[in-house]
Amino acid sequence: MHRAYVTLLFVTALQGTSPQDDGQWTMPAKNYAATRYSGLSQITPTNAAKLRPVWNFSTGVLGGHEGQPLVVGSTMYVVTPFPNVLYAFDLTQQGYPLRWKYRPDVNPAAVGVACCDAINRGAVYADGKIIYNLLDGHTVAVDAQTGREIWKTQIGDIGEGETTPMAPFVARNRVIVGPSGGEFGIYGWVKGLDLATGKILWTAHNMGPDSLMLAQSGRGAFGGAANIGVSTWSGDAWKRGGAPVWGWISYDPQLDLIYFGTGNPGPYNTEQRPGENKWTNSVLARRPANGTLVWAYQFTPHDSWDYDANAEMILADFVVGGRMRKVLVHFDKNGFAYTLDRATGEVLVAEPFANVTWAKGINRTTGLPILDTTKTTGVSKGNVKGICPSLEGGKSPASPAAYSPRTGWFYTATNNLCMNFEASQVTRIPGTPYIGASTPYMAGPGGNMGEFIAWDAARGRKVWGIKEKYPVWSGSVVTAGGVVFYGTLDGWFKAADARTGKPLWKFKVGSGVVGAPISFRGADGKQYIAVYAGIGGDWFLLSGDVRSDDPADVRPPADFAPDLARHTSQGGTVWIFGL
Amino acid sequence: MRYPEHVSAGGNAPPADDLTNPFAKDSASIADGSQIFTRMNCDGCHGAGATGWVGPSLVDGRWRYGGSDGSLFQSIFYGRPRGMPAYGGVMSAGAIWRVVSYIRAQPVPSTVPTERWEPPQRP
Repeated sequence: MHRAYVTLLFVTALQGTSPQDDGQWTMPAKNYAATRYSGLSQITPTNAAKLRPVWNFSTGVLGGHEGQPLVVGSTMYVVTPFPNVLYAFDLTQQGYPLRWKYRPDVNPAAVGVACCDAINRGAVYADGKIIYNLLDGHTVAVDAQTGREIWKTQIGDIGEGETTPMAPFVARNRVIVGPSGGEFGIYGWVKGLDLATGKILWTAHNMGPDSLMLAQSGRGAFGGAANIGVSTWSGDAWKRGGAPVWGWISYDPQLDLIYFGTGNPGPYNTEQRPGENKWTNSVLARRPANGTLVWAYQFTPHDSWDYDANAEMILADFVVGGRMRKVLVHFDKNGFAYTLDRATGEVLVAEPFANVTWAKGINRTTGLPILDTTKTTGVSKGNVKGICPSLEGGKSPASPAAYSPRTGWFYTATNNLCMNFEASQVTRIPGTPYIGASTPYMAGPGGNMGEFIAWDAARGRKVWGIKEKYPVWSGSVVTAGGVVFYGTLDGWFKAADARTGKPLWKFKVGSGVVGAPISFRGADGKQYIAVYAGIGGDWFLLSGDVRSDDPADVRPPADFAPDLARHTSQGGTVWIFGL
Repeated sequence: MRYPEHVSAGGNAPPADDLTNPFAKDSASIADGSQIFTRMNCDGCHGAGATGWVGPSLVDGRWRYGGSDGSLFQSIFYGRPRGMPAYGGVMSAGAIWRVVSYIRAQPVPSTVPTERWEPPQRP
């Protein structure tokens, strides 16, 4: 490939500002920068009211349909929750018939090791392959043309509590993958697989000695001490300390750094793991080629509340405090939105985007939260009440935000839930839950349990918001046409004006939306929006009786959302909308 | 279905005869079973009080693999598809029987309400 072309590709992929969007969606978050910004502009605030469904398809699977389809050329690829079927739809034919369907051999025992429904967050396309994770700890690469399996690699061990629903990411010919299992006491990691063969080239743990973290001591904005992944734990608690990697990954080709968040420390009972527990609930910046840890920053040290930091790290360049900065923006479960310098991890902005009671703010000099000590938890603290956000997060990492370089704003689903937290002692038995807390939820102030917001990450403030009755759990896509899309748990798919937040259009899609919409150019040259319907994930546990395929499994309503099941049941459908 | 994979507790085939719980309704065994249910992280999937979470409720009288003492013992000892681990390798038969006694001792409601809609708002 010509060098100048490579540079142009990298720059446009990073900024998400290509004047000529190729109309495809080849990686989970559209581009390396994870902006979920589509350069297509046919759909506008003026004509969005004319959107109509042009196609839908039942996936035949009931589990929570998180993640997003891919569009490569004239083919749409859809990965289902367990049993992780991969569909390839021919977008050139009427009715979009299947080109092929890939049915992997997935161990059903994995379902019981998946903490919160047997979901999958999607695939990535690279080098002619569709690459995705099976729930049971395997990564597969499938020929995008034929559906033939090219390689399959075991990356995790369900016997240790590791499942693998995250969407892989490809940078520098490495397939980057990580596990879930923060509720099973795993020893969290990321791995780099060879794109061509699937061979595991490196494994980097998120805690433990520097040699296992692939860390260089003395690096990092907030804590470059040697073996900090051991010294911030008591004894060998780091070996079962969690720090799963089940969210999204982004990449800056110029700095040659991948960014990803780690999840909660285990168990939830803080008193079984004294110390800051690095690098749980953190963002880590690593070299994709060999996994080297370059810097890290911990959002919630010694987590008391299950505030995983697996939410996306969106890369953008804009002025902060009068200076042009290369930043990453992250909406954490802990309710703060962070704008960090992505070369160093320096905290530039950290302001609450949701109702927060556990901390009074973030000290920008130290990077540490200013705690409300009446909200810290542990067995000796008893039942601690009125903690906001709940452990569902001010925003769920499962519902990725979008960034429009046109408005300069970020668009994200949020939750307005609080919780009580009563910790208990727990023993780790490999492959079984390692939690140790009871955490009932209640609606936060105002009574609305969700809001879809636009956020100014340079100043750390909300620009506009659309209040929703239920928590908002979908991803979002924002377009050059100035329209932003998201879905709701009660089964509406909605469009709003990206500048004003004015609702433009909605359509009832048959099940709650926990997936992330995409925008693509069809074979006919027109702009389309695609999204999954199919409530699940945590909402399999929290929605009440929404699954009716098993007469032995009947569920009462959730206390805090007793009527959600009035509006939705489980069931996966792929929808495509157009003008 | 891959029984060889999920039957990891010694590899013995399930016995053909139904099994008899040596503790049955013994109250001390039931109390022990309640503690074992928590200590072995059963509540992590089936919820506190076995009322259901990721895994189904064990106290609503509905059974995927049978609700007799023997069926419950086999579900715990050998595991079941869709995620129930085999505890035969980590719990003694006596401990499993005590958990069976605890589960069987829980009252079964006549019905599980699945609806609690808010009343419609009057104009």
